[in-house]
Amino acid sequence: MGGSDTTVSAIAISPAHRSASERARRKQRIVLGLTHVVVLVFGLAFSFPLFWTVSSSLQTWQELRSYTPHLIPSVPQWGNYPRLFAIQPMARWLLNSFMVIAAALPGQILSATMTAYAFARFRYPGRDIWFIIMLGTMMIPSQVLLIPQYLLFNQFGWINTYYPLTVPSWLGGGAFTIFLLRQFIMSIPRDLDEAALMDGAGPFRILWQVLVPLMQPALTTVAVLGFLGTWNDFFGPFIYLNRARLFTAAVGLQFLTAAERIETTGEPRDHLLMAAATVMTLPVLTLFVFAQRHFVQGVVLSGIKM
Amino acid sequence: MAMAGTASARRSRGSPALRREAWWGYVFMSPWLIGFVGLTLGPGLASLILTFTRYNVLRPPEFIGLGNYVDILTRDELFYPSIARTFYFSILFVPLAIVGSLTLAMLLNSHIRGKVFFRTLFFMPSLVPIVAAAVLWVWLFNPDWGIVNQGLRTLGIPAPRWFADPRWALPTLVLMSLWSSVGGTRMIIFLAGLQGVPEELYEAASIDGANAWQRGRHVTLPLLTPTIFFNLVLGIISALQVFTSAFVATRGGPAYATWFIGLHIYKHAFEYFNMGYAATLAWLFAVVIVSLTILQQRLSARWVFYYGGQ
Repeated sequence: MGGSDTTVSAIAISPAHRSASERARRKQRIVLGLTHVVVLVFGLAFSFPLFWTVSSSLQTWQELRSYTPHLIPSVPQWGNYPRLFAIQPMARWLLNSFMVIAAALPGQILSATMTAYAFARFRYPGRDIWFIIMLGTMMIPSQVLLIPQYLLFNQFGWINTYYPLTVPSWLGGGAFTIFLLRQFIMSIPRDLDEAALMDGAGPFRILWQVLVPLMQPALTTVAVLGFLGTWNDFFGPFIYLNRARLFTAAVGLQFLTAAERIETTGEPRDHLLMAAATVMTLPVLTLFVFAQRHFVQGVVLSGIKM
Repeated sequence: MAMAGTASARRSRGSPALRREAWWGYVFMSPWLIGFVGLTLGPGLASLILTFTRYNVLRPPEFIGLGNYVDILTRDELFYPSIARTFYFSILFVPLAIVGSLTLAMLLNSHIRGKVFFRTLFFMPSLVPIVAAAVLWVWLFNPDWGIVNQGLRTLGIPAPRWFADPRWALPTLVLMSLWSSVGGTRMIIFLAGLQGVPEELYEAASIDGANAWQRGRHVTLPLLTPTIFFNLVLGIISALQVFTSAFVATRGGPAYATWFIGLHIYKHAFEYFNMGYAATLAWLFAVVIVSLTILQQRLSARWVFYYGGQ
């Protein structure tokens, strides 16, 4: 990184060279300074909406509608949060979201790992065609399948249950997840499998005792992405759940936007809506703080080149 | 596996070792295969059959031939506009999203301080659930009380009514979608692509006298074309399916200004329970998406450059 600078000054011996290199350096410094300004402006623009959400959630509605807006609440209204939880089943919705994730995520990881193992390690007729078909399913617009799936689950009597949101996760876990894990398994040397095979291990033992321990980074990445996907999912829970008690956090938040005012008092509900948006975003941001590198890992694993 | 040695020497189709390998392959693939047949292939075919019926869930489907197709293509006043609107959204969004993500990635790839900090800052909006993002953007851009218009009024700039104005609603939605995706995975993919450019190519270009712009234009850009292509394909597929943000922020309004094909399908399926009609809409739309993707694949040979062949 700093290497190029030192070579430039090492070559520059004569005064003429020196002034030229100094000019180049000054130019470089100006460019770097401008880059910092641009990055800072972008950084502010990107974070401002989040800052304003939290700030709004801590103001009174009168303060939010004052003639000159207060960027920082004059007196932080921490009470907005308990109030939100008191007048809306927010806690229930959050719990529902966590329950759906707890029921779906293990299935997604387990079935995707198994399928990825088949694609990465076994030779069998039709494997490559199945693999291409699997990648092709990523192209299908979700609406095409949602309608017949809805009708199917309706036949099963699964409307207003969590089955439509959890059972499919146990059946493959999504094309992208499988693809990611398959790429990772391919990068593990086959010698390890073969050594275990010599020791008399069967395919299940090889997967469980040899590969899975080595797949930790990939599995964590998949788990993090799976958590996010389910937490943020709106359309599925929205069409399958229509009793307020069953809503997930995403559907609940959408439900809150329907009423312009708080039912009991008639005051504008914007500050509480912002509190709800904050509450819904918080688990995701927390996860990100703890698993930041796994987000980057996910991109690297997907291989980009395809 | 002692006997496998002799069997593998001939690698014939029927050898027990190969048959066993095939069996295990299918065993491990079975969760996905069951899901594929039961939740993708089966429902896909079922919905294709539905397109030839009138079906409102309560009564059994009634065969009407090509009736749905004819209705959609000749009588549905919202169909063509909703398709056009969806394309308009994508044409505004995708190029800006790709240029935006690439710009942020290049900024993060320069010699700035606090890279991790800024990467986090750019990435955070993409973590905000779409529903929450829509809720907060409606509030930010509230025509009367939103901070954006308060700010504009203070500066004496005429403030548009954003989501409440039919002319502004769609561009505002594009802006919101940019905020919630420009710094996300797409940026990280570009960053990885930029870091994957071999240093010696830059050195060689410098020795040949190329300046920073020329290095960017003739070294970085060609090497990034596969990454750009990848993001373009994914970007178009996801932009054409725009639904949740519009549904939560504007419900397709005002005056149908954000009534995308996704919303049109949703309304017919889950509000009017015109399942046959909705399935037809969805299939027509799927044909558009798939043919666009194939077209892009064809065109890619003209501009995508793979370093070192392949």
